[in-house]
Amino acid sequence: MGEHAITLFYLTEKLPIMFKADAPGILFASVTVLIWILCGIHAIGYFKGDKKIKRYVCFYILTLLALLCLDFAGNMITFYFFYEMMTLLSMPLVFHTEKKEALMAGLKYLFYSLCGAYFVLFGLYFVYQNADNLTFMPGGVFSGELSSGKTGILLVAAFCMLLGFSVKAGMFPMQSWLWAAHPVAPAPASAFLSGIIVKAGILGMLRTIYYLFGEKLLNGTWVQTVFLVLSLITVFMGSLLAYRETLMKKRLAYSTISQVSYIIFGLFLFQPVALIGAILHVVYHAIIKSCLFLSTGSVIHETGKTRAQEWLGIGKEMPVTLWCFTFASLSLIGIPPAAGFISKWNLCVGALYSGRPVFYVVGPVVLLLSALLTAGYLLPVTIRGFLPGENYVKKESVHTPAVMLIPVVILGFLSLWLGLFPGELIEYIGQFANGLL
Amino acid sequence: MNPQYELVIDNICGMGLSFGFDGFRILYAVIATFMWIMAVAFSAEYMAHYQNKARYYIFTILTYLATIGVFLSADLFTLFIFFEIMSFTSYVWVAQDEKKESLRAGDTYLAIAVMGGLVLLMGLFLLYSVTGTLKIEEIVPAIITKSTYPEQLQKRLYTAGGCMLFGFGAKAGAFPLHIWLPKAHPAAPAPASALLSGVLTKAGIYGGLILSCYIFPGDGKWGTLILALGTITMFWGAFLALFSVNLKRTLACSSVSQIGFILVGIGTMGLLGKEFDIAARGSLLHMVNHSMIKLVLFMAAGVVFMNLHELDLNEIRGFGRKKPLLCFIFLMGALSIMGVPFFSGYISKTLLHEGIVEYIHLLKEGEAAVFFTAAAMKAIEWIFLISGGLTAAYMTKLFIALFVEKNREESKQVLFDNRKKYMNPVSASALTLSALFMPLGGLLPHMVMDKIADIGVSFFTVKTSGHIIEYFSFENIKGAVISLTIGALVYLLVVRRLLMVNGKYVDRWPKWLDLENAFYRPVLLTVIPFVSGVVCRVLDSATDGMVVLLRKTVYQDSELKREPEEGNEFTHKIGGMIDRLIRYLNQTVWSYQPHKDNVEHKMAIRYQQISESNAIISRSMSFGLLLACAGLALVLLYLLF
Repeated sequence: MGEHAITLFYLTEKLPIMFKADAPGILFASVTVLIWILCGIHAIGYFKGDKKIKRYVCFYILTLLALLCLDFAGNMITFYFFYEMMTLLSMPLVFHTEKKEALMAGLKYLFYSLCGAYFVLFGLYFVYQNADNLTFMPGGVFSGELSSGKTGILLVAAFCMLLGFSVKAGMFPMQSWLWAAHPVAPAPASAFLSGIIVKAGILGMLRTIYYLFGEKLLNGTWVQTVFLVLSLITVFMGSLLAYRETLMKKRLAYSTISQVSYIIFGLFLFQPVALIGAILHVVYHAIIKSCLFLSTGSVIHETGKTRAQEWLGIGKEMPVTLWCFTFASLSLIGIPPAAGFISKWNLCVGALYSGRPVFYVVGPVVLLLSALLTAGYLLPVTIRGFLPGENYVKKESVHTPAVMLIPVVILGFLSLWLGLFPGELIEYIGQFANGLL
Repeated sequence: MNPQYELVIDNICGMGLSFGFDGFRILYAVIATFMWIMAVAFSAEYMAHYQNKARYYIFTILTYLATIGVFLSADLFTLFIFFEIMSFTSYVWVAQDEKKESLRAGDTYLAIAVMGGLVLLMGLFLLYSVTGTLKIEEIVPAIITKSTYPEQLQKRLYTAGGCMLFGFGAKAGAFPLHIWLPKAHPAAPAPASALLSGVLTKAGIYGGLILSCYIFPGDGKWGTLILALGTITMFWGAFLALFSVNLKRTLACSSVSQIGFILVGIGTMGLLGKEFDIAARGSLLHMVNHSMIKLVLFMAAGVVFMNLHELDLNEIRGFGRKKPLLCFIFLMGALSIMGVPFFSGYISKTLLHEGIVEYIHLLKEGEAAVFFTAAAMKAIEWIFLISGGLTAAYMTKLFIALFVEKNREESKQVLFDNRKKYMNPVSASALTLSALFMPLGGLLPHMVMDKIADIGVSFFTVKTSGHIIEYFSFENIKGAVISLTIGALVYLLVVRRLLMVNGKYVDRWPKWLDLENAFYRPVLLTVIPFVSGVVCRVLDSATDGMVVLLRKTVYQDSELKREPEEGNEFTHKIGGMIDRLIRYLNQTVWSYQPHKDNVEHKMAIRYQQISESNAIISRSMSFGLLLACAGLALVLLYLLF
């Protein structure tokens, strides 16, 4: 793969701000752009008549800028730079309504993110001290043998950095900003947060594990164990809390917490199939979750119904929207042939192949339990939406503007289509995933 | 043993789909197609007054495609995909009329389907991690090549088998996952019930067959498990059916029981090993029979419901009198399922019975591997015969209630008798056509039943013996006679006496014995979510809690500096302290005569006064000094000049 690097300028002699378009960067950026456009289209309908739309669009565009720079970042310092920038630029999206709870949630998002970023920075110092440079290299930046004392310190550094990135990815114990920020943000912003911005944390982890430290350094260490445990806890916890939550957007936020930790679990197995599954899930989850958030946004915008129980008969009023919601739900649960099934298949098979004691079987079991819970919190919504019971009085069908319908339909379609024909995507991911392990 | 004709579609869902077109697969695809055509033909009349007809037909077609996909699949991955699609699309059948009970039954159905599907998936993961392939024909070779058999792989294989059995068993309706059947069938429209019971449960059985024939072929331990499961299911289903007073519920419980019969056959096949095909043929034929019988019986029940909108035996009692066609149709199904000689059900039950007897025989000769003692096997044989008897009893109960007894209300009976047009010609011909299979198969067993068995049995990977069975020999008829005698006794002693009060059918089944309401729902919906919910909530708020704790203690915000309104820091502190002291004393020592001083205020005023006089003093001092200076200056000037 021809990789072209551009260096903008040098911070110090060893620290250039540079960009490189490598395979994972291209993948993440493509997904980002796709979701960004669709959420943007939806926002046109969602913010119709809202005077503050100019501010929203301004920060929305700036966020894209930060995200693209971050996806193509060629070394860790560039990545860190734009990572911080993205946090600050996306905060106004949460603030949008200017209500008190929105401000509080936005601040919580800010503090958690900054806290995470400091962890990253802290770890980065140690890496910088021991490495020649911070340029992303498959296999890591450390050349030559490391003495055992240094390895110990580097593991601590790796732990700090990964923990820092896991804040954005919403992993236990730093997940609570996620369910605070999502319900108060406007729906297109929630969709973008959940679909894309959370994935920036994942990209950070991917870069840290495979491009900065190298899988060899971390394989079989306590860092791996800790993260496997934490991710599995998060998977279960997120699903269960989503199951017990009635506010739709909060439910979806908990679901994000759970689903993103699937990816983290896959990243830390250090097994090619699982890694493919994890990265597939990045793509699929971005599509599925933005579809869910956007369709929920449409329903809330048109009918004002924010709680799951109120969605009785929504399928008769807004059939297309709820159909897309259903496809995305099935996909998220992992019902074949929808997309989520493929990534979960790879994750679980990878887990079993890895043969890592305890995790090789506990992992799939937890993932499937979580899938069951996912069915438990998504399917009733669909079912009561389409089958409201015989006492339901049919209401006028709600007219949904085309700008709000089209993105949802595209995403709903993709969440099926990419499950039926994932071949090229898997091949693309496989090419670089196999190079990493 | 690859299927002769194969269709492979690469890339779909990552692993690609593959279908096989050989004996058993084609056989069941044909049967399913036939049943679907019959059911849809009947639907036209049955569904005429339903709402949401379009939805019903769309999902019927989708379920058909998925089911065909299941039966034709040549690898477990394909099978799983269509299996899941089938589970979801058939949900709409159960919840079709959107009544409260239907929705509840639908929830149960879907919950079991989702759980079963996920456990099945877990099984597939485990299997795949052992064999590295999911192609049905390649599994055995894959296991054999790895069979230096490390202990762990063997264990994993059995775990995989257990998980998959759970998934397939849930769909088939095996104990203890049968609970969806008695709820879902009465709720669904009759043609859909016929298909649910006749074909969809067979999809589960098909999975069970793959497990038994391709993953654990001729494995006695596995056979034991299936046989035990089958025996319980067979008896329990029949027992439940006996107590039921709802026409379709009885038929649903009967389905559970018949699935048990089939499982017994499959289990026996495992015990007998690959040398004997008798149990395999029995299982296969009983599958086919049960499909056809349930098609007929459920559609007959549908005719009743279509006219009366009732399923309670006391309400519909006597409806069938003076309706010879309906009576004929129902009787064909009933006699066949009871195992009366010269009807198709007799043939398959005889084979199943023969299988058990064969194994007992081998045990006595010491030729078979011992998984059951001869005595235990004998007990199973008797349970088999008794279950057959119970079948006879509950079918007699239905038949007598519908076609012999008069309704307890005269006026109703008159209405029933006058209703001559109870189904249209299309429905009538669909039902009659389906019903003709039973006597045909029973009267010409070698021409019909044996041929069917020959087509399908190669799938079972057993050696075909070519041995022709005398279905109407004395030994075989004896089994049927024992069963029917037990049935007659049970009907006369239990049904007529215990289950009827004053000529009315009563539901004697204790409510608390309902597995679903007593166990599954409370545990799965209340206890587990609550307990783990508490744990998760604690975990979830751990970080936030820590932040709050820190802010309350170490990182407490310092109070903002505030200028006192009057006085200064000193008067504020001392005065305030004295005030608090006075307030305290007022409440205690001086409570009879409280002092009403505000010392803080007083001190502040005093401070003000002091500072004012200070100011006066300092001002006058400085003025004095100024004057003195001026004086000094004047004196100086005077002295100089």
